[in-house]
Amino acid sequence: MADESVVVRADESAAVLEDINFYYTQMIDNIADYAVMRLDNDGVIRNWHAGAQQLTQYAAQEIIGRPVAVFYTAEDVASGLVETDLHAAAKGGRHAAAGWRLRKDGTRFWASAVFTALHDLAGDAWGYGMVVRDLTHAREQELTLHGLEQLVDSIADYQVIRLDRDGRVCSWNPGAQKLTGYAAEEVLGHHVSMFYTDDDARAGVLQQELADAVRDGSTETEGWRIRKDGRRFWANVILSPIRDEQGELTGFVKVARDLTERREQERLVKQQGDEILELSTPVIQVWDKVLILPLIGTLDSGRAARLTESLLARIAADQAEVVILDISGVPQIDSGVAQHLLETVEAARLMGTDSILSGVRPDTAQSIVHLGIELGGLRSRTSLKDALQLALRLIEARAGSGNGAGDGADVRA
Amino acid sequence: MRMGQDLLVTLHGDLDDRTVESIEQNVTSEVARTRARGTLIDVSGLDVVDSFVAQVLARLVRMIRLLGAEAAIVGIRPAVAITLVELGISMPDVTTALNAEQGMARLRRMRADGMRIDHDNHC
Repeated sequence: MADESVVVRADESAAVLEDINFYYTQMIDNIADYAVMRLDNDGVIRNWHAGAQQLTQYAAQEIIGRPVAVFYTAEDVASGLVETDLHAAAKGGRHAAAGWRLRKDGTRFWASAVFTALHDLAGDAWGYGMVVRDLTHAREQELTLHGLEQLVDSIADYQVIRLDRDGRVCSWNPGAQKLTGYAAEEVLGHHVSMFYTDDDARAGVLQQELADAVRDGSTETEGWRIRKDGRRFWANVILSPIRDEQGELTGFVKVARDLTERREQERLVKQQGDEILELSTPVIQVWDKVLILPLIGTLDSGRAARLTESLLARIAADQAEVVILDISGVPQIDSGVAQHLLETVEAARLMGTDSILSGVRPDTAQSIVHLGIELGGLRSRTSLKDALQLALRLIEARAGSGNGAGDGADVRA
Repeated sequence: MRMGQDLLVTLHGDLDDRTVESIEQNVTSEVARTRARGTLIDVSGLDVVDSFVAQVLARLVRMIRLLGAEAAIVGIRPAVAITLVELGISMPDVTTALNAEQGMARLRRMRADGMRIDHDNHC
């Protein structure tokens, strides 16, 4: 009926009109990603096309003459959504809607539909044009993206932000605000170096980090960063590059957290450890230029290294000429301990200081020899008293400018 | 620098092959020219003391001894001493001292011992 009116009122020959119709139909049928259909004024499907069949699974002969409501879910039909959509189109000329629609087999797809009210040449309503797209996939992506945003926003203890290729801030999260004290509008578009110390910013630390991240795929660093209020915090930062499908660098993800407290604890533990080591390796000055190092307890390599260090430092400070290493407090001498002692003696000698071993018990002497430990020219005494006497004679001999060659020979014996 | 019968050689900065060569020339000619009895080599000003420097020092000591003088190395710092021991370089034949004063005392004593040996040989 309506079709006839077009034919009659169009001032064209029937043949030309048929041609045009043919080309239009062909053009529309070749549109594959959209479903294009025409409804009459009552919402009944009057024209169908190949894309619509692909999307909804209905063939033209099955669907033409049926109401558009077949695509709507039962709830939407019940709530009068079909009429609402058609009325909106009739009133505004164009109406866009999105929602779940049904295929022939009952499966759902997320449809974006655009209704357009059609009019004949006289201006009377002539049904609706309807273009539908399947946006199920796009909707899923959008939901995923939205979920990710929510996820990032829910992270309160971590700064999770995005930077562009040059290091300007592109996104901000509550964790970032908590960590730095800045609100999103204060930092978006600013260069991330605003959080670095002046020294680091000058030294190009950020540029180096970005370059490392690009080269290695990700980079983890720690360092001082500055809050809005000027206080600094010790940050652990992981920077990863973001690339598009072509592999082109588009920016960076930066994840940071505040490790100030942990760093402080680690420092405290280390300091206490140092103090304990200090207490366990006392160096005593017993005489002018004579030091005693009483060794007590088990010597592990950490303690032994510390011991050598503090002894040599004292030798340098006091300009001590003789040190007595008293091992009477060491329960057992094994080859490791002996090695440490010999290295200490050697280092002291290089500085110009003589060493004397004291407190050697009979069982210690036996085990040293049985272990095959070569003490070289190291002088040794059983008691601290004897060792001290020897030390004083050595000093005397060192000071004496060759007055009595016998002295030197005696001391060496 | 000359101190009585002794020479004081102060090394500082970084040693490379060319400076080593000129040091060896200078020290040997100076020991011979001044007929010094002892030479102290102060290494406290050296930036690095590694196995190369240790070899240079040991060579220098041997050259000085060949010229009839005693030699001692002074001013090995604690960190340097630890490094040398860790590298396994202990320079067992080289006399060391904490500072120039003690180094001179050691040189005097070595000379006294040396005279005693000379004396013994004459007997």
